[in-house]
Amino acid sequence: MPSKKNNDTDKLDALLASVTEDMLGDDLPQHLADNGIRVERILLEMVRPDPVQPRRVLSERIHFKFHNERMTPTQALRELVQFAQVSARQQGRPFANVLEILPDPESDTDEPEKLSPEEDTLRDLVNLAVTIRDDGQVNPLTVVDVSQGVTRLFRIETGERRYWATWLLRDFFPGYDSDGMIDCIVVPAEKSSVFRQAKENTARKGLTAIAMARQSALLLLTVHGYEIPIHAVNNDFYRQALDINLRGKREYTDIILSAMGGINRARFSQYKSLLQLSDEALELADRHDIDEFRLRPVLTLPEEAQGEMVQHIVQFNLSGRQVREICEKGLDTEIDEKPDSTAPHIRRFVKSMRRVGEQDEDEFLNSLLHEEQSQEMAVARIESLITFLTHVKQKMNM
Amino acid sequence: MTRTYVLTNHKGGVGKSTSATNIALGLAAVLRQAKAKNSRVLLIDTDSQAHATLVTTGRNDYGTDNSLYTVLMEDRQTASQTFANCIVPSTWDEDLHVLPGSPLLEQAERELQGTAGAPYRIADPLAKIAPHYAAVVIDTRPSFSLMTEMGLIAATDAIIPIEPRYLETVGLLSVITKINEIREGWRIPDLRVSGILVTKMDKRVKGHHHLLKEIKSHPMLGKLLIGIIPMNEAVSYAHRSHRSIFAYDPEATASQAYAQVIGRLVRQGGR
Repeated sequence: MPSKKNNDTDKLDALLASVTEDMLGDDLPQHLADNGIRVERILLEMVRPDPVQPRRVLSERIHFKFHNERMTPTQALRELVQFAQVSARQQGRPFANVLEILPDPESDTDEPEKLSPEEDTLRDLVNLAVTIRDDGQVNPLTVVDVSQGVTRLFRIETGERRYWATWLLRDFFPGYDSDGMIDCIVVPAEKSSVFRQAKENTARKGLTAIAMARQSALLLLTVHGYEIPIHAVNNDFYRQALDINLRGKREYTDIILSAMGGINRARFSQYKSLLQLSDEALELADRHDIDEFRLRPVLTLPEEAQGEMVQHIVQFNLSGRQVREICEKGLDTEIDEKPDSTAPHIRRFVKSMRRVGEQDEDEFLNSLLHEEQSQEMAVARIESLITFLTHVKQKMNM
Repeated sequence: MTRTYVLTNHKGGVGKSTSATNIALGLAAVLRQAKAKNSRVLLIDTDSQAHATLVTTGRNDYGTDNSLYTVLMEDRQTASQTFANCIVPSTWDEDLHVLPGSPLLEQAERELQGTAGAPYRIADPLAKIAPHYAAVVIDTRPSFSLMTEMGLIAATDAIIPIEPRYLETVGLLSVITKINEIREGWRIPDLRVSGILVTKMDKRVKGHHHLLKEIKSHPMLGKLLIGIIPMNEAVSYAHRSHRSIFAYDPEATASQAYAQVIGRLVRQGGR
């Protein structure tokens, strides 16, 4: 039996259907029928970041608290500011007002300051907020209309950094009178696209390797028809992509690789493999923006050792080769606290000394003649090398 | 820009709430029927009697934390979000949303008297919410109070419902004068009187015909006449069952008349 409400709607529609044509003339007034994409000013509170967005503007901890409705945007930013203040104070550069985190133009120091991830994120957002304050919001956000019933809600597809910068401007910039609105291009829910989001992510400031891994997973899961949740997800959601690959959806291969910034299949696969890292390793690597090359060897370690290894990478700023060597030898090998500053050509020469033997004499001679182009030059080179080695030997005996 | 219609007249019982609710519902239905991009309509009840709220939501127990009162008492910076949070769906139609009125609005009016910026306490937050609606309809209380002033300042189009009686017609001019004062005094250039709606027209009463003729022949009022709603028992029965006139009896003369008014408003809205 149809409900009373449905009956009422039917009656109303029947009545109005009979008069609509007469009432409206030929067409619906243009402004009401306009289905084109428009820029709208939307109340900040009605806009929410995408919880599944691979790029994390805020740290993982704040990200989850915010998306699980345990924090308002202002509280999330306050926590970021507090974290940044603590790390800045530890480095002897305390600040009270967020504007003080910007580099001092009067400073004589040439060397760039080494900022903590929180300071880096905050400085980036404050910089953007200052630009918005001074020049206005040049690019609108792209948002998807996910309103339900009387609740108006728009999910950010692109422009999350601008969103946070606008909140920062509203609540943390003394003396700034914000109207609490933000310019958005509203996309209907059925036209939202993870590919557009991915292109925006990869086109501007590069994603971290971990964000690229999440991005690759999100695209793969989407084209394989997995349901994309509307709430915050943990790494296991993205790890589902480890069981699927581009081969299963050849028709999407080009569009996925293009959305990932034009990388090739091998690179795509390398990024995706990073999802095998433990949660701790993923969080650290994302926060400290560790590149894929340095993370690749970590995958060979047992899960429980991965977090520790990434911690070492951050602490000692290990190179990719060093990470590989350590991972091959095992984590128990003592890590030299001082990074090796020996010039690469010396290192190569010293290493080759170990391997060279009598059997190599002819080959060495031919190669030397080929390199020096004349016998005289080759002899001179050998003599200078003998002198050099003699001096080294004397120094060793002293 | 979203058209915001305010139904106002300082005389009571002229059909403000009936017209506001049925016009709001009709606009939503017509726009949906015509496949408009957005067919949502917001009804704001500024009357402390909250009759429009009662018939469209089936409840009249909205109070300190979920009604227009809440919005009026909120800080300026958070008022828009509170405004959005207080909106409730109507039981009449999924595209009709209601910001409920409450008896507490009388108290709000007393508390806000003399407060700087008080007349803008609906207009300011509404400006940020209105773009999400195809139209907004404001029902006002039968007096020139602060609450009515807030409704007028928030509006773009004033519709004046009147009964076709001599004293009502005289009062009509004072309503128009008041609206002009608000437009000039508060510098609200978008506000205009866009319609006079004759309600409770009884064909059997000679005086009604006479006054209607006078309104029609008046050089200004004649142009503003947007509809004539006949006296119809179906209207009171519809109220009693908390239903719209269209749903209660689509064949009723009042239903047909309101449908014509709505068509005219939609057409006007495009200009």
